[in-house]
Amino acid sequence: MLRRRFHAMGTEMELVLDASPGLEALRAIAAAEQEIRRLERLLSRFDRGSELSRLNARGAMEVGAELLALVELALAAREQTGGRFDPTVHDALVTAGYDRSFDRLEADGRHEPSGPVRCGGGVHVEAAASRISLEPGVRLDLGGLAKGYAADRAAAILEDAGDCLVDAGGDIAVCGGPWPIGVETAGGMLTLELADGAIATSGRDRRRWMHNGAEQHHLIDPSTGRPAAGGLLRVTVVATRAAEAEVLAKELFLAGVPAAALQADTRGLPAVLVTDAGETLLAGGLA
Amino acid sequence: MTDHVVRLYAAAAALVAFFLAWAGIAARPWSPPPRDPQLAALDRQEQRLRRDLGLAQQVVDRRWAAYRATLAGQRAAAAVAARPPAPPVRVVTLPPVATTRSS
Repeated sequence: MLRRRFHAMGTEMELVLDASPGLEALRAIAAAEQEIRRLERLLSRFDRGSELSRLNARGAMEVGAELLALVELALAAREQTGGRFDPTVHDALVTAGYDRSFDRLEADGRHEPSGPVRCGGGVHVEAAASRISLEPGVRLDLGGLAKGYAADRAAAILEDAGDCLVDAGGDIAVCGGPWPIGVETAGGMLTLELADGAIATSGRDRRRWMHNGAEQHHLIDPSTGRPAAGGLLRVTVVATRAAEAEVLAKELFLAGVPAAALQADTRGLPAVLVTDAGETLLAGGLA
Repeated sequence: MTDHVVRLYAAAAALVAFFLAWAGIAARPWSPPPRDPQLAALDRQEQRLRRDLGLAQQVVDRRWAAYRATLAGQRAAAAVAARPPAPPVRVVTLPPVATTRSS
């Protein structure tokens, strides 16, 4: 079993490949890491040179096929989730104090949140012209989706060399398997066995900070422009792709209790919900 | 000219000035001119049309919002229906290889 850990996209990454340590396996690991770093350079909102940052700065420009596809994916997710997942929360995150990578945010300890910011602004994609236009005042954040997408891409690269697991800061994609994956619950660690799929968690137990006695966290409710408060601490969802799992986890987190469990059951989404009250709910066929 | 003739001219001029002033004041130049009844009717019609337009716009906006909501719901339902089923997953008691956490 080969393992490679590194820091990228503001979080810890891990690549696990179930193969003998030959040249092919090492090359696959290196290629997967390179792919994640390439996506970070493309999609980071903290890197002023990234294509996403340039789009946010200019408001409209021709973009590469990958950013175009990801923005289309994010907009489709916004529509499918009724606006609960929204890539236009950039300014709301900045206003809440998340204006630099979380590593630096923790180190600086300077947070100045203010009022809510309007989300859900217009984003126009002209696929034929490879052009994206943002309404004035709209900027994009693809943070969670980008991590899920990176996990999916890296897993697709590693898959050729053997069964694999890619952990992109908690967004996990697996090929082959089955792989035992841990989920933190109120009562301790729960292990889910998963093959050829993905799992992602959205919660306010990490990437959070205090200001004037009020907790701020990175999960913005687009309907209010402020950190969400729906009675859930953490939501974990299983899906076919990590990018999809990331969207679904965020959607259920914002649905709050008891709607999240009901939706997971109705739609057949295997999910683990941990409530603020310290209760753990298994939904969507998990038992 | 004798003083008598001058006084006569002055009286006549004062009388003329008096009647000119009277005519000017009687004309009420500060009050708006009487409105053309056709223009007034057109104004009333325009105001009525504007009111009707506002009401029609409200109806259109309500119907558009309802249409958008229905469309979004149908698209969401279609997306859910089109989504591949979740991969098989089960709870086990093995030690985990990795742990998912809030990203």
